[in-house]
Amino acid sequence: MAHVTEYLPLLLAGLRTTLLLAISTMVVGLILGMLLALAKLSKSPWLSRPAYAFTNFMRGIPEFLVLLLIYFGGTQVLNGMLPEGGFEVSPFGAGLAALSVIFGAYASETFRAAFQSVPKGQIEAGRAYGFSTWKTFRYIQIPQIWRVAIPGLGNLWQGSVKDTALVSIVGLDDLMRKAQQASQTTREPFTFFFVASLMFLAITLVSMWIIARLERRASRGFAGAR
Amino acid sequence: MTTNGNGNAAVALEVNEIHKTFGTHEVLKGISLTAHDHDVVAILGSSGSGKSTFLRCINLLETPTSGEVRVKGEQIRMTIRRGEPAPADMKQVDRIRSKLAMVFQQFNLWQHMTILDNVVAGQVHVLGRDKHEATAKAEEMLKKVGVSDKVGHYPSQLSGGQQQRVAIARALAMDPEVMLFDEPTSALDPELVNEVLKVMRGLAEEGRTMLVVTHEMGFAREAANRLMFLHQGLVEDEGDPREVMKNPNSERFRQFLTGSLK
Ligand SMILES: Nc1ncnc2c1ncn2[C@@H]1O[C@H](COP(=O)(O)OP(=O)(O)OP(=O)(O)O)[C@@H](O)[C@H]1O
Ligand SMILES: [Mg+2]
Repeated sequence: MAHVTEYLPLLLAGLRTTLLLAISTMVVGLILGMLLALAKLSKSPWLSRPAYAFTNFMRGIPEFLVLLLIYFGGTQVLNGMLPEGGFEVSPFGAGLAALSVIFGAYASETFRAAFQSVPKGQIEAGRAYGFSTWKTFRYIQIPQIWRVAIPGLGNLWQGSVKDTALVSIVGLDDLMRKAQQASQTTREPFTFFFVASLMFLAITLVSMWIIARLERRASRGFAGAR
Repeated sequence: MTTNGNGNAAVALEVNEIHKTFGTHEVLKGISLTAHDHDVVAILGSSGSGKSTFLRCINLLETPTSGEVRVKGEQIRMTIRRGEPAPADMKQVDRIRSKLAMVFQQFNLWQHMTILDNVVAGQVHVLGRDKHEATAKAEEMLKKVGVSDKVGHYPSQLSGGQQQRVAIARALAMDPEVMLFDEPTSALDPELVNEVLKVMRGLAEEGRTMLVVTHEMGFAREAANRLMFLHQGLVEDEGDPREVMKNPNSERFRQFLTGSLK
């Protein structure tokens, strides 16, 4: 156990990277998911068809494969485009791209369903009072969409926190990789993997608490909610 | 077309030859209406006659297939986009809509906002009033409709009658030129109808310009100064409510009044 305190700063640095990647993934993924949802709901098939195709493709292949495709494929594409060559996609960049594309694909379905759950009358009332499309979106649709979307998005967040562990395979210095390094040098794999598990669990518990609060906040005014 | 009780007042709303077709179904076949300030126009008609569609064409929730709408003399400019009629300038439409506050059958209060915020939101986001001014105005209007004890509640915590009165306060807070009511009491339990009608009678008395689609004959007779009867997309009868209700000009309206036209 003495080793744990010795390696704690190392693990905490890894935890920081893990959290940084997960949070960036969520931010980029939410934006991407919202854009994809709007494209899917668009009347124009030029927008909706590609959005559906992209989402289905991303949901149909293993996350790990998406990561490898972006990591190796991205490096190849970059080198092909830039004549100097020698470029390499950073593990963090590849992880962020892969995980946020996956997050976005799933989130777009959550958002799409949430958009459709807002009764037409809510939007019409906005339009009838002179709210522009944007103001209706901003002040009427978004707040009502959150309420419906938060549980689904919360699950996606928990999933992408865990998926960050995959990125250690392409060399990201995250919690997973640090735990692995510590367990190799100390020859105490169980101890360090156990500590890493506790840290992941802590993230999950804190997230659940925050999500529950957000959900309660967003549900104010709706039947069955306080 | 000739009757109106406020011949000297300025024209508030002018609707000219509105047609509306859904697919191949012509729902409105050329409807015109001139409402002066302080007019209260009751719009009657059986289900499917096009009453809601007519109101919704006035504030462009539906785009008329043809026809003109003028609010306080300003015509809503239309154009053709991809072969379909469309508003030429959405900013103009949004501005005019804010002068044509609508009260819906299903209230349509914003569920995620408190009662107070429902009445404040349009003032702030559309009219650009500052928060304090808007809040004061909202409180005043909520008091007027008798729900000032509910400001912090959410719509789902109110009865239908209370919600509809809040919806009326939301409309009043916009200082509208014309208020459009689409069957404001039809979704209410019978015992809640009167509290809403009472508020509406008060508005009529204080000289608000109102177009009211309703099945409430008492309200049409006593609170309105004009009556318009729609049947299959046409104005079949119109005039002073007391007169036409006593002596209908058209057979259809006579049938409607005796209840044989459903
Ligand atoms: N969006 C739409 N698409 C197609 N048809 C429509 C649409 N809205 C209304 N209609 C049709 O237009 C006709 C008139 O409808 P409208 O709602 O204006 O009647 P109404 O007089 O308000 O009836 P009610 O008393 O039942 O409210 C109906 O036949 C209806 O089916
Ligand atoms: Mg109707």
